[in-house]
Amino acid sequence: MRRVTEITGGRQMQRTEARLGWAMALPALSVIALVAIGPILWAIWESLHLHDLRMPWLGRRFIGAQNYIEAFSDSRFWDAIGHTVVFAAASVTIELVVGLALAMAVDSMTRGRGVVRTAMLLPWAVPTVVVGLVWRFMFETPGGLVNTILVRAGVTAPPIWFADPVAAWVPVILADVWKTAPFVAILLLAGLQVIDTSLYEAAQIDGASSWQQFTRITLPLLRPALLVALIFRTVDAFRVFDVIYVMTGGGPGTATEPIALYTFSALLENLRFGFGSALSVIIFTVTFVLALVAIRLMGRRALLEPMS
Amino acid sequence: MFVLREFCRACAYALSAIAFVVILGCSRRDPHVLTFAGSAVGKEGDAIRLQLDRFGKIHPDIRVEVQPTPDAANHRHQLYLQWLNARAADPDVLQLDVVWTPEFAAAGWILDLDRFHPQLEDFFPATLTANHWNGALYALPWFVDAGMLYWRADVIARPPADVDDLRRLAADGMRDHGIPFGFVWQGARYEGLVTVFLEQLGAFGGEILDDRGRVVVDSDRAVDALTQMRDWIYTDGIVPASVLTWQEEQVRLAFQNGQAVFMRNWPYAYSLLQDAAQSRVAGRFRVAPIPAAKGGSPTAALGGSALAINANSGDSAAAYALIEYLLEPSQLLERARLVGEYPPRPTMYATGGLGDALQIDPAEARRIIEDAVPRPVTPVYSELSQILQIALHRALTRQQEPRAALQDAAAGMRKLLERFELDAAPR
Repeated sequence: MRRVTEITGGRQMQRTEARLGWAMALPALSVIALVAIGPILWAIWESLHLHDLRMPWLGRRFIGAQNYIEAFSDSRFWDAIGHTVVFAAASVTIELVVGLALAMAVDSMTRGRGVVRTAMLLPWAVPTVVVGLVWRFMFETPGGLVNTILVRAGVTAPPIWFADPVAAWVPVILADVWKTAPFVAILLLAGLQVIDTSLYEAAQIDGASSWQQFTRITLPLLRPALLVALIFRTVDAFRVFDVIYVMTGGGPGTATEPIALYTFSALLENLRFGFGSALSVIIFTVTFVLALVAIRLMGRRALLEPMS
Repeated sequence: MFVLREFCRACAYALSAIAFVVILGCSRRDPHVLTFAGSAVGKEGDAIRLQLDRFGKIHPDIRVEVQPTPDAANHRHQLYLQWLNARAADPDVLQLDVVWTPEFAAAGWILDLDRFHPQLEDFFPATLTANHWNGALYALPWFVDAGMLYWRADVIARPPADVDDLRRLAADGMRDHGIPFGFVWQGARYEGLVTVFLEQLGAFGGEILDDRGRVVVDSDRAVDALTQMRDWIYTDGIVPASVLTWQEEQVRLAFQNGQAVFMRNWPYAYSLLQDAAQSRVAGRFRVAPIPAAKGGSPTAALGGSALAINANSGDSAAAYALIEYLLEPSQLLERARLVGEYPPRPTMYATGGLGDALQIDPAEARRIIEDAVPRPVTPVYSELSQILQIALHRALTRQQEPRAALQDAAAGMRKLLERFELDAAPR
């Protein structure tokens, strides 16, 4: 009998502790529900309505997938998706190349590596809006630094950067690369530093050229770090907003408008809550899928243990 | 068990403390405090505080407070929408950009002012048209803006008679005086570009919406107007392609530094350009109406602000008294002197005081303001304008032919009006 009471008492104790545990976690859980899950569900619900803050007389009708149909049949939407993909592809590629070059340069330094590493991170620490403004200033016409230099160098008709649908990408991508290449470089530098130097010594003895060492040793062993950098930057680039908002506002016309900027314009400038929410849900879904792919890739053992 | 109960009690205390703070925050304000929302920084802030204080002295039972709002028009607009959507009783009196009135009126957010029987004889007619919706007046004009052609009196002898004359004079001025630009205007993708286009559209006799509210921005006249704007840049070479990234201030700086024969700008630039300390063209320029082409008439885009009353205001009579006070000629004259804004009352342009206050020939100013036309009077103006901005900028940066761009814009506008069930709405 006594033992039974002890056991039930123990169970009760356990149950009480579990309940206390839940009670303690409840504030944190409710905050997460309140700020993350709630708004997402709300946005999905909102995206099924015709809800325009400017047109209260239309009410807030349930219209099913109408907003999504409008988005998918809207050429500005597809243009925006296209611009986002172009931006992501161009900026991430350049960032990886420049980042790798920087990382290898720093890695080969024998002295002052710490100082250079810190200095290298400075662009990354500057707020994006400030970066955008500074780069816009340099490409302003007339009188901007870039065109002044081009004219001095003998270029007769330098481009009006922000009035040209193709040239406008140059300052935008440069600003993004300038800001984030150092971040990539730091990630890759960490990857480089764990590569065993004896591999290079052995390769040298076997008579491998520098290029062979790079393609046969450095690149394969750096794969996990490269993948991490690639995934981080791609997800980030897909959500690009601030640098373009500040530099071109999506112009000329809508030639540099990414999907996040289009959503901003629908949701916060035109206050089309229903349609804007539908666009947000689309961005959310795509970013979520990208993140899932990333987690799967990064979770693999092949990623953690470099290929041989 | 014991710990759990303690924990619950702590939570209960915390919740009641929060509830207390919330209840305190919601307590009702004194009904005799009026709030005014509008531009409240710099010279405008000084002027409005001066006048509100004086109003408070005349009406000791009313105290007026300024509710600060962002200075950028789009940010202020967004904030107003949030307040009015939430049916907030503050602010009582709102300074509206002239293109917002129909939007706020259609939404039922501002009061129909006809109930106060306002005296409307002494206002420029266009400023009243812009503040009407569905046949009722919803806001009273406070000050007006109108697009003007600034021209270099030391370079050319007379203002242009028509658009061809303008092109010739601009080219002559560039060639004979070594001035880099013939004509500068606001060409960035923003509201300013729409006002520039509206003026050229009027010059060619076109419209954005016709008098029954139908979209006619894809007419041949509109195509001609936009084609001319594009050709000025790429064929005639009198307008630098850089204007496609310029807003008011970049345009003013170019003209102020003596780099342009003509400039399209708002009246605010006048007194700044006359300031010899910063301007190279002080005393060497004049203003004129923007010239017309064959089949059109000189047109100025109408800008400016109006005053309206929040539909949920606790004391609309006091709010109207404040508006009436701010619109008294003496107050408007003071505002002209302090801020350089143009009064909406034509009779004031016949008196001497205004010329001194604005440093401009009042008769000249009045002639330009009388040519002013409102932008489309519709509740969806902001979206309409955005569609047009994109189309205009695409055509001017040669991503699309003017006709195709305007056809796209017209299609987008028709869809917009249909969506908001305004295509058949009475105007």
